[in-house]
Amino acid sequence: MSAIGELQRLNTSTGGPPRKRDTKAALLFLLPWFAGLLLITAGPVAASFVLGFTDYNLIQPPEFNGLENIQRMLTDERLHHSLGVTFTYVFVSVPLQLAAALGLAMLLDRGMRGLAFYRSAFYLPSLLGSSVAIAVLWRQIFGAEGLINQALGYVGIEGTGWISDPDTALSTLIVLNVWTFGAPMVIFLAGLRQIPVMYYEAASIDGAGRWTQFRRITVPLLSPIIFFNLVLQIIHAFQSFTQAFVVSGGTGGPSDSTMFYTLYLYQRGFHSFDMGYASALAWLLLLIIAAFTAVNFWAAKRWVFYDD
Amino acid sequence: MTDLAERVAAPTAKVDQAVRTPGPWRSIAKHTGLILLTLVMLYPVIWMVVSSLRPNEEIFRSPGVIPDSFRFENYSEGWNALSSPFGHYLINSAIVVLGCIIGNLVSCSMAAYAFARLEFRGKKLWFAIMLGTIMLPIHVIIVPQYVMFSQFGWVNTFLPLIVPKLLATDAFFVFLMVQFIRGLPRELDEAARIDGAGHPRIFRQVILPLMLPALATTTIFTFIWTWNDFFSQLIYLTDPEMYTVPVALRSYVDATVSTSWGSMFAMSVVSLLPIFLAFLVGQRFLIKGIATTGIK
Amino acid sequence: MKKILAGVLAALLLAGCGGSGGGKADGDLTADKIELRFTWWGSDARHQRTQQVIDLWQKAHPNITVKGEFKEWNGYWDSLATTVAANDAPDVIQMDELYLASYAERGALLDLGTAGKNLAITDFDAKALATGAIDGKQYGLPTGVTTYSIVANTDLLAKYNVTLPDDASWTWDDFKRVGDQISKASGGEVTGVQSWGFDIGGVNIWARQNGASLYSPDGKVAIPADVLAKYWQYLLDLSKQGIAPAASVSVERAGAGLDQSGTATNKSALATWWNSQLTSLAKASGQNLKLLKIPGEGTATGAYYKPSMFWSISSRSKHQAEAAAFVNFLANSQEAADVLLTDRGIPANTKIRAALTGKLQGTDKAAAEFLDSVKVGEAPRVTPNGASDVEAILKRHTEEVLFERQTPQQAAEAFIKELQAGIDAA
Repeated sequence: MSAIGELQRLNTSTGGPPRKRDTKAALLFLLPWFAGLLLITAGPVAASFVLGFTDYNLIQPPEFNGLENIQRMLTDERLHHSLGVTFTYVFVSVPLQLAAALGLAMLLDRGMRGLAFYRSAFYLPSLLGSSVAIAVLWRQIFGAEGLINQALGYVGIEGTGWISDPDTALSTLIVLNVWTFGAPMVIFLAGLRQIPVMYYEAASIDGAGRWTQFRRITVPLLSPIIFFNLVLQIIHAFQSFTQAFVVSGGTGGPSDSTMFYTLYLYQRGFHSFDMGYASALAWLLLLIIAAFTAVNFWAAKRWVFYDD
Repeated sequence: MTDLAERVAAPTAKVDQAVRTPGPWRSIAKHTGLILLTLVMLYPVIWMVVSSLRPNEEIFRSPGVIPDSFRFENYSEGWNALSSPFGHYLINSAIVVLGCIIGNLVSCSMAAYAFARLEFRGKKLWFAIMLGTIMLPIHVIIVPQYVMFSQFGWVNTFLPLIVPKLLATDAFFVFLMVQFIRGLPRELDEAARIDGAGHPRIFRQVILPLMLPALATTTIFTFIWTWNDFFSQLIYLTDPEMYTVPVALRSYVDATVSTSWGSMFAMSVVSLLPIFLAFLVGQRFLIKGIATTGIK
Repeated sequence: MKKILAGVLAALLLAGCGGSGGGKADGDLTADKIELRFTWWGSDARHQRTQQVIDLWQKAHPNITVKGEFKEWNGYWDSLATTVAANDAPDVIQMDELYLASYAERGALLDLGTAGKNLAITDFDAKALATGAIDGKQYGLPTGVTTYSIVANTDLLAKYNVTLPDDASWTWDDFKRVGDQISKASGGEVTGVQSWGFDIGGVNIWARQNGASLYSPDGKVAIPADVLAKYWQYLLDLSKQGIAPAASVSVERAGAGLDQSGTATNKSALATWWNSQLTSLAKASGQNLKLLKIPGEGTATGAYYKPSMFWSISSRSKHQAEAAAFVNFLANSQEAADVLLTDRGIPANTKIRAALTGKLQGTDKAAAEFLDSVKVGEAPRVTPNGASDVEAILKRHTEEVLFERQTPQQAAEAFIKELQAGIDAA
């Protein structure tokens, strides 16, 4: 198991004694980013924070109302409902999507016939993911007369209109999200390409099975990328907006069953002219996402391995 | 160069075969499964292409994906349905996309190198701030940002869409590249440092070539996401002369009257082509990972 | 960074107090070269017609360039709210009844009554004009009017051999009965009725036929809970008895827009629509469609003229006189009307309507004639400030009822409470 042994040595090496600071170089490399932070990001972000403590209808100047927006959150039943919808979505769709992406990435990574074709075919849906056409297309599958119900009809089952039934609407959006697994798949593929093939070769010669190879080589070496996809997909899922917006025609319906947090916040801000409250909601979302991300980073110390 | 680097650069072709040689039945089963999966995944896309060739009133009355008519006029009518030919919007989108790609490639890779390889004060805090900037939904940022850009006189230009990318505000890609760079063996930098290279040279000559898959990923995603991004383009581009593809595409649809669905689907297909081509080209670079690039 | 933050905040604060822009609305038109921004929502057909009208105006006023900005419905309101917030609103704005008060009462729109010689409103039907006025100020000039109606597919009626009672006197019970006949005769192939309850027209009519109204004149929610509960009970009965489709099918079609509705796809024989939508529906359905009066109108008048949309002018426009003159051209000139036809409703300008009716053909003509044949009452009060999302609230509660997650009575009480809370907060 020489290759794996070497690998583990690399993974556990701490990188030697602490090195001196590279302040000058860091400033140079971070110059565009700092400029963007100061000139583009900071102003609007700070403004949205301040607006969170105001009553702001977009047309008249904002008025400070102290902690009123925060008090409102405590009793806002639709907000609590939308949190429930969002958490369900995050916890179900992210693992499913990542599993699909990783599984197919590994399947497609090995040399096989028609590789490029499959890769492109699997990515194609992701290109459509937020298109205005998706609402119509999704009804062709999950609508009352869509593909699913036609298939069920052959075996004598009468299906519901999956998109417009409050009991199933959220599930169709989860399927939609899994369907567009192309983005994390491509990132996994790129990551798999960085794993030196010699490790597998050596392991194979040492007689390690595929499962062992997956656990001892793929997972550790791909872990920075798995971690990246996990963190970003969670952030992304918490902010999920476009698909629910397009499929439900902006309503989050039926009966608020697809009322994602961001969709609710958008409706408060733009449809109900309640931008002060919407801003406060956005900062609550930031806290929630930040907490999840922090936990993720903390947990990462146990399973993500870097070469540096 | 280190021993590791040489071994990493070893050719790969033989190894794939050595890893496993599936029997013919297994292969057939696998391909059948994959093709079925492909069909299911592509059903909506196929439906869209077929519908783009149907007369408007047939689209929702005749179900299924068996092509039964070929009304190519949808394409010519859709192309000319708005105030400018559709090609105009394609060009506008292409300009925005190009600007964003250059911006993200240059600025995000620089920032990522600093976060991944350099030691500086408050690194963890700055990194957290960077991640924090993608946690706020755009809907509450857009109004103050619009106010700011309109003070700059940038509304109705492509600047509000491109300049932020030139300044590495897309933290997604910074984080992506940080993860890729941290996956590269540090021995490679150390070797270059011993040869007397400074950070700019290590970045250009060692890191950038090795992170080609990450750069390709960034290019593909920036292309696709910018091409499809609706909200900020809608808000910042008010003059139809400046409209991009997603803004133009939605102008076909109105739920309260009858809509030219045929034209809309036709132009959706047209607007899908550039991003699909971009993906086809881009994915070739995904394959050229560390294993085939070699280290010079 | 501080400076930018201060700048952004200051701009937000100032945006609201921009006050009136330059120039008085009744002043003389400028001879200088200026540019007006004009924004509307719609589909590509409307974009083309409107651009033609702009070109006509351009010929007569070469120094006043009009820039047309077209959007789809949802994006339109996001974009409008953002530009108004940044004090960068277009000069001429296509406005909807739902949003009129929310913009006008917050000072974003110009009182068109101040435009004097630049904008004539004398040819407009008084009842229609009233729909765009709040506290005696004319914030919107109705482009056209439309009225709630039943669209009947006569081909389907003939196929299933069902004759309708006289629509001048039919009742809601009659409506249910014939709907049931059609559903049964077709053996589940089509439904007699397409469910509604997702737009504000249906609930307005129901309330008015029962001697109530959705809002009181001072802009409070006034519909009694039991009236609303009976409305939803009626819709629920239709759905449960198979007269209208199952709840999930109804909700799906309502959300999919006109082209995918039961009427357009010939899957429902009777449905509620605004009469101006007849042409679009007939085009999509390909069968013979006919407009009928709403049931129950024989005993109590619920019908009214709904303004299909308004022309409004930004109160912060720098070119108010020119904007008023342009609206005048859109609303009063025969030249413009000949291009626009009924795209924005049957014109509310009575002279234009009279001249146009002779030129209309087929379903457009039928729609115009229907409008004249309907006996209407006073228009309902304009949607109050803070209630611009009333249709979303209504739709959600209709869904709660159809899926039997709430009883009609519970839904009625919840609807009234939520709508009133929005108005109170504005």
